[in-house]
Amino acid sequence: MTPILLRIMLVVGLALVVSVIVLTRRAWLPGIGHGLPSIWRIAKITVAEARRRRVLQAVIALVILILLSMTAFSYLSPQEQAKMVIDGGLAAITVFGILLAIFVAAFLIPNEVENRTVYAILAKPVRRSEFVLGKYLGALIVLAAMVAVMTVVLVGVLVTLDHLIKDQAGSSFNPNLAAVVLAAVMSYCSLAVLTALIVLISTVSSTTMTVIAALIIWAVGSLQSQIYVLAESNGGAAKLFLLVLYYLVPHLENFDYRFQAANFVAISVPSAIGAVIVGIGYTLVVLVVASIFFSDRQV
Amino acid sequence: MATAETVLHIEGLTKIYRSLFTPAGVKAVDDLNLTLRKGETYSVVGPNGSGKTTTLKILLGLIFPTAGSATIFGKAIADLSVRERIGFLPEDAYLYDCFNGEELLDFYAGLFGYSKRKRAALVEELLTLVGMQANRKVAFRECSKGMRQRIALAQALVNDPELLILDEPTSGLDPAGRHQMTLLIQELKRRGKTILLCSHFLAEVEEVCDRVGIMYRGKLVAEGSLPELAGEPEEVVVTFRGLERVAGAAATRLRERLHTAGVAVAPEAAEPDETPASSAPAGAFATLRGATGEVHLPAAHESKLWVILQAVNEAGGQIVEVSRPRPSLQAIFVRAIREVPE
Amino acid sequence: MAMLSRRARNGLGALFCLGVLLALVPVQESIYRARPELLERARSRRQHAASMIGMGPTPAVIAALGGFRSVAADLLWLKADQVWHGGSWWAMLPLLEGVVELDPSFELAWKVYGWHCAYNLNAESKTDIDRNYWLQKGIEILERAGETNPKSWEMKWELAWTYYDRSHELPRAAEAFYEASRLPGAESYVSRFYYRSYENILDHDGIMRALAYARTQHPKDTKHQFLVTRDTNYWKWAWNDPREHRRIIVKENTARYQRAVPPYLYPNDPFWDVCPVCGMPVEKGKNAVCENLSCPNYKHPIHPQTATISASP
Repeated sequence: MTPILLRIMLVVGLALVVSVIVLTRRAWLPGIGHGLPSIWRIAKITVAEARRRRVLQAVIALVILILLSMTAFSYLSPQEQAKMVIDGGLAAITVFGILLAIFVAAFLIPNEVENRTVYAILAKPVRRSEFVLGKYLGALIVLAAMVAVMTVVLVGVLVTLDHLIKDQAGSSFNPNLAAVVLAAVMSYCSLAVLTALIVLISTVSSTTMTVIAALIIWAVGSLQSQIYVLAESNGGAAKLFLLVLYYLVPHLENFDYRFQAANFVAISVPSAIGAVIVGIGYTLVVLVVASIFFSDRQV
Repeated sequence: MATAETVLHIEGLTKIYRSLFTPAGVKAVDDLNLTLRKGETYSVVGPNGSGKTTTLKILLGLIFPTAGSATIFGKAIADLSVRERIGFLPEDAYLYDCFNGEELLDFYAGLFGYSKRKRAALVEELLTLVGMQANRKVAFRECSKGMRQRIALAQALVNDPELLILDEPTSGLDPAGRHQMTLLIQELKRRGKTILLCSHFLAEVEEVCDRVGIMYRGKLVAEGSLPELAGEPEEVVVTFRGLERVAGAAATRLRERLHTAGVAVAPEAAEPDETPASSAPAGAFATLRGATGEVHLPAAHESKLWVILQAVNEAGGQIVEVSRPRPSLQAIFVRAIREVPE
Repeated sequence: MAMLSRRARNGLGALFCLGVLLALVPVQESIYRARPELLERARSRRQHAASMIGMGPTPAVIAALGGFRSVAADLLWLKADQVWHGGSWWAMLPLLEGVVELDPSFELAWKVYGWHCAYNLNAESKTDIDRNYWLQKGIEILERAGETNPKSWEMKWELAWTYYDRSHELPRAAEAFYEASRLPGAESYVSRFYYRSYENILDHDGIMRALAYARTQHPKDTKHQFLVTRDTNYWKWAWNDPREHRRIIVKENTARYQRAVPPYLYPNDPFWDVCPVCGMPVEKGKNAVCENLSCPNYKHPIHPQTATISASP
């Protein structure tokens, strides 16, 4: 795309967003004072509910075991060991993060509707959009805690190995901890985007379909650059289909900094900020659509 | 027509469920009109699938009507401010089962934006009202059915609502539990709450309700206070006893006198509480059960009362009671449903 | 509170979403500009698709398909390590190709891959044609490594070292050392090897130019500056001293080729004799002795004689 076209899109897009916000201010502005506490309360109860679910605790314990087992690569050179531990650790955080996101988010709203616990909440002065946002925020908090635990364990393993290897003469491990933590944080951001999508899908379909769709979206989202390249070399209906896929599915690759962390390559901060902006924008769109769908859903 | 005293006004409310397999749709609620005044306790009764719960769900905004409208406190049901003034007890107490009563009430109170102190006071008050102070820390999933219903009622009262909507409040409870729940509802009524109640237990409905609406196949087939629904007493009933002494010629004479008076003697009822109207012939009739007997004289046959009394007396029986009974809600219910054309 | 009708709400919501998505397109393009490796990886993967087919163990394939390329690369790397210790040098090739394909920034894998072809397989080969083939293959791999990791000085260093040490294409080695020294993070010895390459081919202009360049690198590294100054001073006077000139060449060639003797060490060489026992060159002089540690004649005087061994550099 030409720079001028991109600028036009940016201006038009921002103009649309601002005008919609201004036009609808009478609808949403008065409700903020009551809405935000309701969202927070629903988030808190979601977190409290998740804390009592044994399956999440079991998954976290399993991940910790896997991270601790990364110390088994001691027969490799320090550089190889560093790469293996960082690669494996970040991959474990990503894989299990996705599983946790699915466990937490796919059952959020469908469970409430199936168990009919949503009746007592919606009978209170709580908007459906506040309910969706509260549930999403709760899921985010749960995921943040879990990713934080896994990251702390990974950093602990790296620091411990660093100390052990430094004790051996002439060796160096030197894990790039800042890059590892940043890669984990970006991984969490991708989970946040994925969770929003899972919540959206769960408002209109069953739990099984939600889980399947989440896995497909994650796979497609991780291969967006491939889709872009394929779209470049195709034409007609195939190109259109690929472009639609490219623009609708989130760009989860933007948040993938595992290569940089494992190979000690410098991370571009502007690209990380750009990725977060794209993530926030996309999540906003998804949550607006989820709120609209849920508002029209008959429970 | 809605007035200043009107709490709930439903006009022409219709709900049709359509699906791929039923394109024409299934009418769950059909042109419902209903008005609830302040302080009134109104009960909607009906068989399963009559549209009671559908109506409640429409009022709470959980589902959307196909046609018609409803207002609560003069405002549209979609208006969020309406929910500040209503409380809802769902059927089967659908609440989060991993939390205890205290936590649940605190959560629901928080949704109204109450401060921590106010929430604590409210929780204490409500647990006392429903008698759950001792079991406040018991997880919801470990509570008995009665305890769950009480906590569910407490969460419906968390905002001290003006209008209470109770869906099957005594469903699944043992007789003691049903009695306690009925007492609670009476207490709430005494405090001036407007109550809209859906129930299958007609006995409890008779105890608490001012007006009753009977729904069948989505339509309100009958509505009014119990005396209005019951109407004028349709018959005179003479109850007598001592028939064990009536034997042989005396018994034959009694039957002949009754027959002469145009009173048919119905076959002996198999069950003591079997409704005579369901099995007895039309017109005046008598039923003899062991040592007791009853003679039912419809309005057209009331003139035969003196003859009947004399016949029983001469046969050696003792008159116990002469009464004009009103039909029970169950009888009214069954009659109303029967009158609906197929 | 003003309430929107459902249609109005849906329409405005759709406009809002469209606006956000439109505004995000230029942000996404800027991310691709800041991280060109995202698209380049995708484009190169299409070109090298054929090499993915003969890949290693199934878990690696599954991991690769799942988007965990670096984990897949690590699994293949472990397999390659296992195969190396098992002695199957030829079997390492597809594994290493898979590793660098999946994780192009895995520099160690590139180094080992290139080294394995240029050194091990080259040495294992029975014929000159094969030896040359593997050497060129190793060089090609290291060139690819440099293209894939253009900011990595170590990749350029490996290529330069292979030119210098293995294929003896010293002009190319010099060029590669120069390019490597210009990349961020390059060690000081890289710029020194730039002029070392010219020293080995006795390109005077090249040597002086490279020395001048090396002096400008790492100004605060005192050791580097000392070495460069020393070498600069050396070449300023050594170039004009034929004895010193020849001594350097002999020393370099002897160190590299062990018993190989330079072609000019034939009879009547004015400066060099050959030890009669081990055949190593010995500087002529009154008390010329063999300097070869492993020679039985070590430190014993030698007599000048005609050298009959022909050198094969």
